[in-house]
Amino acid sequence: MMRRVWWFWTGLVASGLALAEQGAAPGAAEWLQTVANAARQLNYVGTVVYQHGNRVETSRLFHLNDVQGEQERLISLEGPMREIVRSNDQVTCFYPELRVVRIEQRSARNAFPALLPQQMATLSQNYNFRQGELARVAGVEARAYVFEPKDGLRYGHQFWTDNASGLLLKARMVNDKNEVIEQFMFTDLRVGGKIERSSVRPSIGRLPPDWKVLKVSPAVGVLQDTGWQVAYLPPGFTKIVEMFRTITGKPDPVAHLVFSDGLVAVSVFVETHKGQAHGQGLVRTGAINVYALQIDDHLITVLGETPGETVQRIAGSITRRR
Amino acid sequence: MGEEISQLVDGELEAAQLERVCARLGDGKALEVWVAYHLIGDALRQSASVAPGFHERFSERLAAEPTVLAPPRRVPRPQFVPWAVAASVAAVAVVGWIGLREIPAPPLGATAQVQTAEKVSVAAVRPLQSAGYNDYLMVHQAYSPATALQGVRPYIRTVAESGQEAR
Repeated sequence: MMRRVWWFWTGLVASGLALAEQGAAPGAAEWLQTVANAARQLNYVGTVVYQHGNRVETSRLFHLNDVQGEQERLISLEGPMREIVRSNDQVTCFYPELRVVRIEQRSARNAFPALLPQQMATLSQNYNFRQGELARVAGVEARAYVFEPKDGLRYGHQFWTDNASGLLLKARMVNDKNEVIEQFMFTDLRVGGKIERSSVRPSIGRLPPDWKVLKVSPAVGVLQDTGWQVAYLPPGFTKIVEMFRTITGKPDPVAHLVFSDGLVAVSVFVETHKGQAHGQGLVRTGAINVYALQIDDHLITVLGETPGETVQRIAGSITRRR
Repeated sequence: MGEEISQLVDGELEAAQLERVCARLGDGKALEVWVAYHLIGDALRQSASVAPGFHERFSERLAAEPTVLAPPRRVPRPQFVPWAVAASVAAVAVVGWIGLREIPAPPLGATAQVQTAEKVSVAAVRPLQSAGYNDYLMVHQAYSPATALQGVRPYIRTVAESGQEAR
């Protein structure tokens, strides 16, 4: 654990220096790192309300950080039973009603906060970052922080953090009309104190044999050449990974490319698909826009927490390298 | 009569009333009112489907689109003329149309394409039902900084979708 913390702070200092060299405003990037740090290191339990469109879903969240690392569990409180368990880099989603479990092993440390220095610099080029007002969220005093996009290719982000712990209490994405398209919010939260180990373990101890297990393999390398490339990216987006993944139900490895502007990410997936694919076009769920299109025997799926136009434009620019 | 037809158009009629009102659409005047209400409804929804020459212009623009917005497909929509010819068919079609209203996506999708053809930007927003992009969404979550601030919370997105699309 200490090594991990040390790694984190070393990274933070290094990135701080990189920022100083580039003369970029460190505010946004530093703020992101601090909040990510609080989310990882603290122990907490609370009720989370997720809203998008007309839908509201309430869940209970437990987070424990101890000698075994980071353990987290989210369980739905209404509707069909859903459970998401994370143990360090492995995320498992249980869908008891469907008798399905989906397992994703993340490749260690390829995710945030490993932001590239240039991404941190581009953050301030593409968003106006500012501290907002004091407010109350989940019964505690919170401070608002706002990322206003400088173009129409990204959403606006509003965050509220706990003044005492720095933990993120509320996250909201807004479109160009300032309409809320998605919101996560704690309605109650306890930070610190004892979190039982049992509360972060899956409630299903042993998986019944008739359950379907969907697996997403770890990436072998983070920078493989998949042979696919995009000609168009919105300003500030850079490629952070490119790899092949194996996914249950997909016969061939799927090419996966991720692009990020330092705040959000857009993923490009290319799978082999003989014949006409059924789902093509654009669909939005909450803040996630997905655009699918077929090129010869390949189905291309582009998704990310950006406006539809952004994923569509990227999708339209994908070509196979000669 | 006008009010009942209005309710019919809005899909608010009880089964018994529905039959009676549909039977009356055989009368030319009632049918005119019915068509008028549809025109009003389409206008309110800013559907371009009623404009003269719509289909021709739509086809031309679609053909001229530089990018593949969506595969060409036949969008189910009310066909006024044939219904006027066969009133008995109309009764069946009205029921079908009411069913369609439950799923606003196809007409909206078509409209979005026409409206944005000039902007050349956003394509039709419609349900991508069987795409099974949940695996992809799950994989994606790990890479988004804004998402990573929240630990597993954003995985609710994946969960919520799976509830709808049992795969």
